[in-house]
Amino acid sequence: MMDNLKLAVFELTDCGGCALNMLFLYERLFDLLEFYEITEFHMATSLKVENHYDVALVTGTVSTQRDLNLLKEARNHSDYLIALGTCATHGSVQASVELPIREKLKAVYGDEGNPMRALDSKPVVEYVAVDFALPGCPYDKNEVYQVLLDIAKGVEPVKKDYPVCLECKLNEYECVLVKKGLPCLGPITYGGCNAVCVRSGLGCIGCRGPLPGEVNPAGEYEILKELGYDDKYIIRKFKTFARWEP
Amino acid sequence: MIIELHEFTRVEGNGKAEIIIDDGEVKDVRLKIIEGPRFFELLTLGRHYYDVPDLEARICAICYLSHSVASVLGIERALGVEVPEEIQLIRELGLIGELLESHALHLYLLVAPDVFGYPDAIRMATKHGELVKEGLALKSFGNRIRVMVGGREIHGINVKPGGFGRYPSVEELERVEKESEALLRLARRAVRLFAQLDPYGARAEHFVATDGYLWGEKLVSDEEGEFHYTERIEERSLVYSFAKQSRYKGEPFFVGALPRLLLKSEMLTPTAKRLFEEHREKLETGYVSYNNLAQAIELVYSLERAKEIAKVLLDRGIEGENVPVEAREGEGIGYVEAPRGVLIHHYRIDGNGNIAYSNIITPTALNHAMMEASLLEEARKLYGEAEERVMIQRLEETVRAFDPCISCSVHLVKL
Repeated sequence: MMDNLKLAVFELTDCGGCALNMLFLYERLFDLLEFYEITEFHMATSLKVENHYDVALVTGTVSTQRDLNLLKEARNHSDYLIALGTCATHGSVQASVELPIREKLKAVYGDEGNPMRALDSKPVVEYVAVDFALPGCPYDKNEVYQVLLDIAKGVEPVKKDYPVCLECKLNEYECVLVKKGLPCLGPITYGGCNAVCVRSGLGCIGCRGPLPGEVNPAGEYEILKELGYDDKYIIRKFKTFARWEP
Repeated sequence: MIIELHEFTRVEGNGKAEIIIDDGEVKDVRLKIIEGPRFFELLTLGRHYYDVPDLEARICAICYLSHSVASVLGIERALGVEVPEEIQLIRELGLIGELLESHALHLYLLVAPDVFGYPDAIRMATKHGELVKEGLALKSFGNRIRVMVGGREIHGINVKPGGFGRYPSVEELERVEKESEALLRLARRAVRLFAQLDPYGARAEHFVATDGYLWGEKLVSDEEGEFHYTERIEERSLVYSFAKQSRYKGEPFFVGALPRLLLKSEMLTPTAKRLFEEHREKLETGYVSYNNLAQAIELVYSLERAKEIAKVLLDRGIEGENVPVEAREGEGIGYVEAPRGVLIHHYRIDGNGNIAYSNIITPTALNHAMMEASLLEEARKLYGEAEERVMIQRLEETVRAFDPCISCSVHLVKL
């Protein structure tokens, strides 16, 4: 039998959700263990045995010098690195606060700021080359499961290239943008979440980042303007999860 | 000399500690939160209130629903909105789902490996597979409730000011009623397991909780009646940590499962109350490590209460009506018991419905001083008595007992 692939999960600054979501695979996590051995995953294990990883999952934004060091370590010691979750792929919410870092720290910690070395939050893809980027705040766990299986079987995983709207239509959900006038970013957001928020009758908030290519953000902007949302609101909504374009 | 505890494992987020030794004695301990700052209050400023609970949910994945609900409560109070009992009960059910999910994760996957001497639950599963499976069963049940109320397992957007995007169906509630009954046996087994552990860490002297079991209008402590956090709790910045430290009347205090049980045992469900009485003497010693036993008792409480709520909602039928919400100027505080303790969301809203001020204080920030006190106590006990490796392991367990959520603790704003 072949040796199992060494799998590592590295957490930079984030809410912990992308690492936690791996544990939410439940028994399927044990299915993955047929192919992988987890050798670094500090939320889940006290063990740290390897310094070479076949696959490294990196979650979170680079927000401190520690994050940056850890990211470089992960990149240098892994064959296949996946930027996992919207923090890692686009910066997500914490990168969307547009103030110089010095002013932000002052607002939080008072006049002296904080002597610890903080950096402006940026996605992993700003600093290192990644082999695959899987967005989502959090990503869909079925998707990460499939990606890890593909890699284990030597198949390059497929990147989703369609908007949330497609999965919304397949589920036959009512269009909340047209029917209810809710601000829904489904038409311009990466699909792959199975339109989970529209299932609740609420608009997509764009947590998987903007879909590049043949999408029409200007059209979306016009629709929201017509619905009565003002410029500032629309622009902030567009940028909430994606201040940084990969 | 400084003994460094490297980054804690089996906790949420990134933190470490330093034990400062001088003259052969433990002089001080520094708990360093090294997770980067996340600026969540700044993120909400100028934002329309309707979008804020979805953003604040992202402070933490393990307790996102506590954040959404606390955020919604703060906003509703600021806007003078009152919701009917149906909506309150569904929110409570969501918080219970979160308690189950979070406590099960903590007890079975993060703490149990210490009890049985394994580095993690995956390796523990080879010998104690049944126990790991039981933990996962409780956890996934809690998560199914979170999906039902919150919209998805992590960072759902279904909890809104004035109500919900989507209301639970009869079938979903029937399933909650049935499954909570079936899982009760496992939770009682967890109480037996965690009741066997020896105490460690410090004994807390002050306990703080919300006035209701899982949320409230105000806070309460063991020594006085209701109060707002601004009246008794002070925060200060530290030079060595990205998290601030809070003190109650100038002293460390404890929030979480143990304080909830000690302050609000009369609100417990029948079996949970009986188990609390059975272990009361132990719990009342105030050792922070008994927080794990308290969490196990809360698993029992959560299952009993989930069943009660599902039954009430099924008996009277769900109306599914949201309360209309209108923008106006106002100020409000939302108090929720996140699984690991009191969570505070405080907002001021301007006439256009945009957030003008926000302050969020998380349980891990509230417990920061107590964690340090606990590390100090344990380090003093063990330094020179036990091997360094053993001491460090025990110190890490001491931190773990708090179920700290480090990710959440690092974005407190003063404006």
